[in-house]
Amino acid sequence: MKELINVHNLTFSFAEQEPVLKNVNTVFPAGRVALLTGPSGCGKSTFLRLIAGLLPKYGGTVTTGKIDFNGQQPTVGMLFQDPLMQFALDTPRHELEFVLENERVPRDEIAGRVASALSFAHITELADRQLTALSGGQQQRVALAVVIARQAKILLLDEPFASIDEANRHFLIQQLDKLVNEQGITVLIADHDCHGYQQLHPLVYQVTGGQVQQLSPTNSQQFLDEADCIARQPLQTQLPLADDIAALALDEVTIGRGDEQLLSIPRLKIIEGKVTLITGPNGSGKSTFFAALARLLPYHGNISYLGTSIQDFSRRRYRQELGLVFQHANDQFLNVTVEEELALSKKNGTHPYFKDHLAAALQLLNLTGLEKRVVYSLSGGQRKKLQLLLMLMMGQSVLLMDEPFAGLDQKSLQNIFTLIHQAQKVRPQTLLVISHQLAGIDQLVDFHLCLTGHQLIYQTGGHHES
Amino acid sequence: MNPSLKLFLALIISLEITFTTHLTGNILIIVAALAYLILSRVPVTKIIKPLLITLIPAAALFSTIAFFSPEHNVRFAWVLVSRLYCYVSVGAAVTLTTPKLDLIHSLEQNCHLPSKFAYGFLAALNLIPRIIQAVKSIRVAGEMRGVTLHWWSPTLYFKAILAAISWADQLAQAMETHGFVEGAPRTAAQVIPLRKVDWACFVVILIVIQLILIALP
Repeated sequence: MKELINVHNLTFSFAEQEPVLKNVNTVFPAGRVALLTGPSGCGKSTFLRLIAGLLPKYGGTVTTGKIDFNGQQPTVGMLFQDPLMQFALDTPRHELEFVLENERVPRDEIAGRVASALSFAHITELADRQLTALSGGQQQRVALAVVIARQAKILLLDEPFASIDEANRHFLIQQLDKLVNEQGITVLIADHDCHGYQQLHPLVYQVTGGQVQQLSPTNSQQFLDEADCIARQPLQTQLPLADDIAALALDEVTIGRGDEQLLSIPRLKIIEGKVTLITGPNGSGKSTFFAALARLLPYHGNISYLGTSIQDFSRRRYRQELGLVFQHANDQFLNVTVEEELALSKKNGTHPYFKDHLAAALQLLNLTGLEKRVVYSLSGGQRKKLQLLLMLMMGQSVLLMDEPFAGLDQKSLQNIFTLIHQAQKVRPQTLLVISHQLAGIDQLVDFHLCLTGHQLIYQTGGHHES
Repeated sequence: MNPSLKLFLALIISLEITFTTHLTGNILIIVAALAYLILSRVPVTKIIKPLLITLIPAAALFSTIAFFSPEHNVRFAWVLVSRLYCYVSVGAAVTLTTPKLDLIHSLEQNCHLPSKFAYGFLAALNLIPRIIQAVKSIRVAGEMRGVTLHWWSPTLYFKAILAAISWADQLAQAMETHGFVEGAPRTAAQVIPLRKVDWACFVVILIVIQLILIALP
């Protein structure tokens, strides 16, 4: 089999830090799918960005070695973790035209190639919509269309499914399979949640301790089987009982986005002191639901907190009762260093567990020794863990968490579950969690709400993620 | 009319009225600009909004000059107010009738503006709604951590600037992964024509404005 990407003795580090990659030697064969896996912060993203040529151009230095493409200069396409941040223009059509203009495609061919790329990604009807109005899954489809339009020979995907639903994940994997089989494209995927990749017959590479190691075929198979197995376990949850106390109660609530009605909830109670999971397809309005509960969006009907309408609280008082863990960790930070962030939550936070156990919590989340670091320089997973810790320390009675586990590996996830359990034992908070990561989550959640057809309905037994 | 020519015309008119004190001329320009907006079928609410917002600085300007300046020069106050409205209506006549992307394409194709500036500018415009959203969420993030951020709080600006810097970097990377190379030749999906009739319009309007400003009292 021909090799397309050769990595020779590559060492890379960001300014004045330990090298992220140390003397990496590896090859990626042409026309195959390679799956790079490893814990968060292990350097998977960095490695992909090096191959894409974005690094060291946008930071860091290569101290030894190089990456070569067998003397060729193939077009490299990339899908990023944050779908929206990869577009320069306003609509899918304009973005695709921009891309084809960059590739110097003659004018009379542009319209045809735009149309075929749109149809490959099944987004023809979205072509003239605003990109900002599309859901994460739809945005990733647009990103795929861009790669198709450019006729990239190498496709890099950096945790492309971190916050998109099962249906979109399945669709994208299927289209990747087509690309590899029909056009011989080489695909590299960095992901820590590796379920559903079997049909691509990927070569599995483990990224740990600055090294990239290819697993043997037997180990690869075992690894993929395990990932599928974890994902297939059904969620075991129960229905809340009639006399369970409601922290939040909704009565005849409707919430819209633009002209479209997203949610219509006749009656719903969120049980006090319990963990409730919310699932549902992309763009169905889960984040919008949180925004309404947090009084960031208008709604019709009545939402009450412990019997009092949430509109009757002063803004300050309400924020002390109800906290929101944002989807993007960066939005949560107010200071520069990890130390300063922790100090602020320590000063204003009320959660009794963290008064005595902060050091242990940091240890558990693998965040010790990072105190002097600038929060924005942490890896995606480290930022996510720090964000969660800072908000748990605040100790609001109700905490809304929007995709708190996106981009975290299985081990970090386990440790976070442990931490939440310990904290809940000392002081039970009402936790509402939106998550697409369902693997192993049933040990955390008590109840499961599914958003389908504008309604939120409690589920039992197997999960109904569509 | 060609978007670039339209922009230059607006700039020339604005510059010219800055150095004249011609009340009738200013009013004629305002009327012409508003007529153009209505003929171009711009929704009336969109036209009225900037005019209403301008009312506040216009009133302040008028009262300052008319009542508090040593000469109490009411005519000059009207000149300044009409000049302000000239800027707003001429500006609206360009921005409300030209899609952003057409203007950028025109500047790139007709005026040979380097594409780096053209698309950088466009990307910055597309970021504005995100910046507004970011400022809101920073305040909420503060409140939830027991910190009240006022509009004068440095943290608010520090965070907003930080977000903008990281977006700028991400955007540059995104454009690069979408095949954009600084200074490299590009083709055009939409050709923005620069016709003789555009030039004729441009010249005629300029001449008419000179006549108004010179010939009228």
